[in-house]
Amino acid sequence: MADARRARYVTLFAAESRSLLAMGHRSVTAWLAEPPESSHAEEIFRALHTVKGMAASLGFDALAEQVHAAETVLAEVRGGERAADRRWLEGLEGRLDALALEVEAVLAREAGGEAAHPVARTAPVVRVDTERLDALLADLGAMVTARQELDRQVAADPFSPVARSAQTLSHRLDALKERILHVRLAPLGEVLERIPPMVRDLGRQLGKQLAVEISGEELEVDRAILAQLPEPLMHLVRNAVDHGLETPAERKQAGKRPVGRLTVRARQERDAVVVELADDGRGIDRERIAARAREQGILEAGATLSDEHLLGILARPGFSTAQEVSAVSGRGVGLDTVVARLHEVGAAVSLTTVVGHGSSFQLRLPTRLGIVRALVTAIGEERYVMPLTHVTELVAWDPAQVRQEGGRAMFELRGETIPVLDLRRLLQYRGGSAPAHRPAIVFAAHGQRIALLADAIAGQIDAVIQPIDRVPGLPRWITGATVLGDGRPAMLLDVASVA
Amino acid sequence: MAKRILICDDAIFMRTMIADILTGAGFEIAGEAESGLQAVERYKALQPDLVTMDIVMPDMGGIDAVKAIIAVDPDARILMCSAMGQQALVVEAVQAGAKDFVVKPFQPARVIEAVKRVLG
Repeated sequence: MADARRARYVTLFAAESRSLLAMGHRSVTAWLAEPPESSHAEEIFRALHTVKGMAASLGFDALAEQVHAAETVLAEVRGGERAADRRWLEGLEGRLDALALEVEAVLAREAGGEAAHPVARTAPVVRVDTERLDALLADLGAMVTARQELDRQVAADPFSPVARSAQTLSHRLDALKERILHVRLAPLGEVLERIPPMVRDLGRQLGKQLAVEISGEELEVDRAILAQLPEPLMHLVRNAVDHGLETPAERKQAGKRPVGRLTVRARQERDAVVVELADDGRGIDRERIAARAREQGILEAGATLSDEHLLGILARPGFSTAQEVSAVSGRGVGLDTVVARLHEVGAAVSLTTVVGHGSSFQLRLPTRLGIVRALVTAIGEERYVMPLTHVTELVAWDPAQVRQEGGRAMFELRGETIPVLDLRRLLQYRGGSAPAHRPAIVFAAHGQRIALLADAIAGQIDAVIQPIDRVPGLPRWITGATVLGDGRPAMLLDVASVA
Repeated sequence: MAKRILICDDAIFMRTMIADILTGAGFEIAGEAESGLQAVERYKALQPDLVTMDIVMPDMGGIDAVKAIIAVDPDARILMCSAMGQQALVVEAVQAGAKDFVVKPFQPARVIEAVKRVLG
């Protein structure tokens, strides 16, 4: 089978198997609610049968056999040999979950196999598609940049016929931008549907009773963002099941229902989709984290931890309080990687936790990728852009308000003390000296406010962000580049990772 | 003129695979159907030279679809596509009027050979 063709079949297999197994699972759930009802058997059989046919066609023989075994179990009830009692249904549910996991494993092996043979490797259809879409986005970016220059010239003579045409062109371009960004959208369900089988399987491994609920799978985000989501999300799910949710005995002792609940809800909030992952488990022990943070010298003695500050500490590289290595989630919590991965795609993460009642992570995902509203700042002749998402205000900088505290410069703003960083130092700028009057850009990240000192503010733009090659020595807070209206390049500063 | 074929299967995966095999051999895809009911409707509308028919489909299975198609066109040429272990159903389909069958997973050469045989 030609590689490109096989890749296309694998893509179809992935989409259809996932949705058929999810449908099969919904049938079992409905069946469990109404045990004598047996019309579900036919539906589940059809789903299994189709998955089996596809698996066999791609040479996934072990998977095909596993599906066949599930069909055989189902045949007992379809043939009237036995009744579908609760125990049998739970067994069937387990088989469907195991199949969903096996499908993911087979797909992972297939992708790995591809990478192992770079010569024979041909990009699957979806990837080719995405590349084309990226090219389209890059063209669009060039046009948006050109438009900014045109807008500037039009502003000088707003009533000329050229200005009118420019305006029409500008509106058309906005429409085109929307359309292109829209084509890139994909439903969250592609990722969220993989959670329930995983949770149930983990529950069985760990002897925990779990109920999992998913909603908002129809909401859409950019494919590039969706592609980055599974790893951090599954990591959070594993943490919740392994560390957050208790065993039935522990829950009873704490006066809770024996079944632990994990909910994954997605909702639209203006230009973002918020995915909230909540468990009703034991919550995070703030005191233990605080003690550990004080030991490591990252929290002052006597200071308390807010939720935001808590996440900031948990997400520090290498910070771990896990006392044992678990087979499910490995050593430590690994939140640093999770948060870093999410920041890479422009997602913000927040945490709410109450001891004894559970934890909730909110992932705020941008729905549109590639174009961000950004502030342009100047350091000498260099230009930097920073996404406006985190910027809270711009203030005139008064060196008299600065005091040194523990080796850090702190800035007094309306009674609040905020650490201040000079971008000149951060970026190791070696040009001429700084102007006398400088603006401070105040932004919030990880529940902390921080002020960045620039030389000047050069306005706001819709920045079309291009990825940059990560060469050694490049500071981690430079995460992309863009071209300004006048054709000058500017680096993108990821303000969240400066904090 | 290329012979026109209607592909009936509830999985896009299978329809794509069959379409690839058949177009590669110079056949034309007249249309696709994803349920037995759709297969009967599309057969009447498209009048294809041959139908490939999956057995297990929602909204009327393949065997009932064969019966319904043969009822409107006794000369319809239908090739059953079955999975392993469905011999009994294949026999029923042939009794209902299907001309031949191929077994999944498909081997392109077998599929083409069967299609040519059925077309005569």
